[in-house]
Amino acid sequence: MPDVCPYLEYRQLEAETESGDAADAQPRAYCNAAEEFVQAMRADICNGRYGLDHETDCEIYREAEGLPEGVESEGGGGD
Amino acid sequence: MAYDDYLDGEKVIVTAALTGGVHGKEANPNLPETPEEIGEAAAECEAAGAAVVHLHARRDSGERSFDRDRFQAITEAVRSRTNLVIQHSTGGTGATLEARRQSLRTDPAPEMASLDMGPLNRYRHLTSENTRGMVDSLYDEMVERGIKPELEVFNDGHLNEVAALLDRRDLADPVYTTLIFGGGTTSPPSPRNLLNATENLPEGALFNTLGFGRHQLPLTTMGILLGGHVRVGLEDNVYYGPDQLAESNAQLVARTAGLAETLGREPATPDEARDILGL
Repeated sequence: MPDVCPYLEYRQLEAETESGDAADAQPRAYCNAAEEFVQAMRADICNGRYGLDHETDCEIYREAEGLPEGVESEGGGGD
Repeated sequence: MAYDDYLDGEKVIVTAALTGGVHGKEANPNLPETPEEIGEAAAECEAAGAAVVHLHARRDSGERSFDRDRFQAITEAVRSRTNLVIQHSTGGTGATLEARRQSLRTDPAPEMASLDMGPLNRYRHLTSENTRGMVDSLYDEMVERGIKPELEVFNDGHLNEVAALLDRRDLADPVYTTLIFGGGTTSPPSPRNLLNATENLPEGALFNTLGFGRHQLPLTTMGILLGGHVRVGLEDNVYYGPDQLAESNAQLVARTAGLAETLGREPATPDEARDILGL
């Protein structure tokens, strides 16, 4: 069972489509520490997928917990 | 490829990168995620001038998926609506090699697949590893399944890796590269760096230009002038203008196709792209 981030919850995203029709939309990952919906790749960290761990790999969690930042890096899109 | 190709009016292959694996509807609600949405977006992009579609898979929640069946559903949604060249991503920061192979295993196999030429960093502690062993392994499966690799060059060091791959493996002509510009581990986005990268390509290699965010428009325009091909779409850029979210992938494709025509190069049809790429 993956170790899920305690700040993670799933919420409905407003304005799911261009038409605003969110009737069929699935809830998606929301970070209560950052107070925003998280990117797809960040949700893998929150959910502990692929060997990722929010305690070591998520700068948002670490900042919220007052842990040292460690190495910083920022990527773009297009994976 | 060079300025002479521009002067000769060689056709431009426009690739539409619809979805990606990094951001989703939280960044732009018009970004397609479900197979149905992706199929519809692909059809709109073909009508707007795209010849190739670059595909990723998502779960129902919008999160990344590497599931073969999900790729199968997406590829069927696109194939049923378009004649586009289908290119599946094998990228997957943090994901296992086995997960990343799944997109190659649809029936039929995609005509093309992306192949990252080296490592890149994300966030605090994620790396897309792309060791040479992983690259060879993905490449070998592509060859086995008749899939043409699109060599993704995230920075100039990856041009060395392209040369090294050509030493290790016998790639079919033409070698097709995508030159990537943006932040983080990608090449710093500037006209000079695009020029330098094109001058360091292997002899005879084709190139495709990819700029992230606000660099998409100027660098792809420059790529057209340098005789290259271009990639646009919501995977790489969710904006149409400053503080203006793009309405769709097709909106970005239409602008690029129109620019190419204005500059004297017609967008290639999917079948013309197949001829250019040797598919």
